[in-house]
Amino acid sequence: MKVLAFYPDRCVGCHICEEVCSQTWFKVTDRDKSRIRIQEHDDGSISALYCVQKGDCIDVCPVNALTRNKQGVVLLREKQCVGCLSCVGFCPYLAMIYHPDQSQPFKCVACGNCVDECPAGALEIVEVETPSAPGPQA
Amino acid sequence: MAEKTLSPRRVLAELTYDAPSIKRGYAGQTLYVNLSDNTIAARPVTNLMKEKFIGGRGFDLYLLWHGVDDDTRWDDPENEIVISSGPCGGTTQYPGAGKSIAAAISPLTGVPIDSNAGGHFGPYLKFAGWDAIEVQGKAEQEVIVFVDAPAGRITIEEVPADAPTDTHVLGKWILEHYAESESDRQQMSFVSAGRGSEHSRMGCLNFSLYDRRRQDLRYKQAGRGGIGTVLRDKKVKALVVRTFPIAGNLNAPADLGLLQETGAEMHQEVHDYDPVQNRMRSRGTPYLVQIMDDYDLLPVHNFKFGTHPDTPKINGEVWEARLTQGLPDGCWYGCTVACAHAVDGYVVRSGPYKGQAVIVDGPEYETVAGVGSNCGIFEPDAILEINFYCDTYGIDTISFGTAMAFAMECYEAGILDEAKTGGLELTFGSADDAIEVLHQMARGDEFGRIFGMGIRGMQDYFVEHYGADAQFVRDIGMQAKGLEYSEYMTKESLAQQGGYGLTNKGPQHDEAWLIFMDMVNNELPTFEDKAEALHYFPMWRTWFGLCGFCKLPWNDVVHPKNKLSPEPQKIMHHVENYQKIYEGVTGTAVTLDDIITMSERVYNFQRVFNIRLGYGLRQHDAIPYRSAGPVTAEEYESRAERYDDQLREWLGLDPAQMSLEEKMAAHRQYRTERYQKLIDAVYARRGWSNDGVPTLEKLRQLGMDLPEVVAVVEKHL
Amino acid sequence: MIRVNNRDEVDWREGLTVSVLLDRLGYTYPHIVVTVDGQVVYEEEYDRRVIPDGANVRLIHLIAGG
Repeated sequence: MKVLAFYPDRCVGCHICEEVCSQTWFKVTDRDKSRIRIQEHDDGSISALYCVQKGDCIDVCPVNALTRNKQGVVLLREKQCVGCLSCVGFCPYLAMIYHPDQSQPFKCVACGNCVDECPAGALEIVEVETPSAPGPQA
Repeated sequence: MAEKTLSPRRVLAELTYDAPSIKRGYAGQTLYVNLSDNTIAARPVTNLMKEKFIGGRGFDLYLLWHGVDDDTRWDDPENEIVISSGPCGGTTQYPGAGKSIAAAISPLTGVPIDSNAGGHFGPYLKFAGWDAIEVQGKAEQEVIVFVDAPAGRITIEEVPADAPTDTHVLGKWILEHYAESESDRQQMSFVSAGRGSEHSRMGCLNFSLYDRRRQDLRYKQAGRGGIGTVLRDKKVKALVVRTFPIAGNLNAPADLGLLQETGAEMHQEVHDYDPVQNRMRSRGTPYLVQIMDDYDLLPVHNFKFGTHPDTPKINGEVWEARLTQGLPDGCWYGCTVACAHAVDGYVVRSGPYKGQAVIVDGPEYETVAGVGSNCGIFEPDAILEINFYCDTYGIDTISFGTAMAFAMECYEAGILDEAKTGGLELTFGSADDAIEVLHQMARGDEFGRIFGMGIRGMQDYFVEHYGADAQFVRDIGMQAKGLEYSEYMTKESLAQQGGYGLTNKGPQHDEAWLIFMDMVNNELPTFEDKAEALHYFPMWRTWFGLCGFCKLPWNDVVHPKNKLSPEPQKIMHHVENYQKIYEGVTGTAVTLDDIITMSERVYNFQRVFNIRLGYGLRQHDAIPYRSAGPVTAEEYESRAERYDDQLREWLGLDPAQMSLEEKMAAHRQYRTERYQKLIDAVYARRGWSNDGVPTLEKLRQLGMDLPEVVAVVEKHL
Repeated sequence: MIRVNNRDEVDWREGLTVSVLLDRLGYTYPHIVVTVDGQVVYEEEYDRRVIPDGANVRLIHLIAGG
């Protein structure tokens, strides 16, 4: 499946990816609406929060609003979503984002727009094996 | 809606309306339905209602008060069923913010009962444009009340007399006749009872939810106090609502961002700590069964004992294996505490639905303890069978369990025998005979009719017809105010005796649950400490029912930082969350003092309501001696060491010099007087007279000196 | 001898840990606030934390029913 990869040693902390992301999906330049979050730490290191398409959120959604498409990307169907943010609290990667302008959360869908604009080559779309989804157990 | 859905239904009355937009948690109107004269009317929500009654249980009681007379009985047409969720009900961002609270004059107690349930009905009703529904009168034929928001129409509809009544089959019938599509099913919820409600006073209401994962209906129960009995007395099959597509902003909150931030943080806390704390997500409330047994607090054999060697057969571990795992089992959207589990594919073993594979919602702790250990039944399948039939027949599992335990003790004491029960051998542990009583209740025949009167009814009946010793049946019958006790042992916790006895509606633990604080933690050593707890906790807990919240996310998962709190029992970091959610929805910031005052207004109003109906005084706060101390020699001996120590420590007596009878009598005198002293302290703290009447000064201070309230109180001061 | 919850006298033994004390009292509830002479003890220390003779121990069960 397609998934975004981040190379912290190459990242220069320019945050262009965040601007590209919010422009792509919300038509505004606003870090708070980006689906990738670059974090600069006190020790000078840099990390990023973004979805790795693992899909833990699929099982906590009470209304089946989260699904995995054929490419393996986890998608939120906004019309189904009831805005409960269970997926936000249960994402081990803190990759599900919310913003008060809308009730539904949002996430990286590995569209690759940020990859194209990253000046440092710190982002890439890669192919990995799709994890098998744990379903309900009787 | 297609034509086939209309065919079995005949419209008796109709009101068309445009659903108003919700503002900060309120629709701004309530729905009045009268089944006697087939009227339907919209009524405004006044500022007085919002300021003094908030919503939920507050709206219920306000509307009920103005619907009934001083002498209204439960089966009079004037009695009402009122259902409301409250301003925060329907919030999806925070766990447990979708409760419905129902109220009516209770067939068991004669005073208002309030009982809450999960499921979708209350929030859906609000999103359909109504903060509450108030159903008065009695229909001549079987009816359904249908609130159809997308169609802008409310109807009272006659349905065929042979339409099903038992909830799990009625639910399928309703979907078939009222829901066209999967989205209709998702947008619908209904309230129903069952045939057992028709022939007993312990009828419950089922609140449906359409489970999108299972693509099937599930039900949560407003069990207490017989509201299901009132529903069937009014010839209502169901109250049905169809609302708009569900989304995270339907409640039109003042500050969505505050809800999101508070909710996301809480979900994360549940994710991190539930697996190492109570494991609500995998076991639900039955996690408590083993804990209660470990601390000698699990009701066993009609509350005689607190522990039993067979408890491991019905403990949380067993239920974890039986409950379907891996599903987000919230009873309202976004509840990550998710205690509303179910057993899927249970094959019914008796009665009219024998052989059907069904979903059994639960079992909850109360059910496992009530129909399980308290009746000496330690067989999971029997508990599931009783749970299933109680729900579909519309019978409260708590009243059923506690009343069955009473009947079993009466049987073992010789008050009942096979001749009187029609051949049933109701000894402790007789699962099949207990199940047969359920079927009799549904049919309205044999011993089931007597049993269905509840403990208070049985006590009178056994004394009058079977010559039972009145004192003995009073002592062992675990009811107060006419309501059966819920499933906690209170003998060794005076504070919890008050937690049950000093309630408005009767002994239900949702007001105060102080056993561990009092008995184990020793945090309430004086009468004043206990009185303070019996002020604070009932008021704090009342507030959940005003707003539409569930109490479990408050205390069933806790962040470790709470350990450093000066009062860890209050779980202040969660109190702060609730303040934020209330503010986020309504736009009004509240302090904890404000919260307590909001509750005190409604709580005192309810007390005065009881008084208005001829109850609500000190004499009505009495408790059976079984809840305060050992009634029988067998009970004393089971804890002889503890009781002997207490004689030495509390009374300076030497048990070695006393007969068993003397020891029991000394305990009885001491424990009975102690409860009276507790009442004195609690009434003083609550601002009530020595007879339990809220004083004018207290009512003025709360701003509850409403003319109709003062008029009742003045007669008693 | 140690005192638990300002009431119960419990026999003290050399090397008495919080875990052993909870076990001896049959306190199985998973969420108890433990303090020894006023100091909070966290779960991860239960096996190591030795309770001194004469200590004032509080075992506050955070359980409040539904």
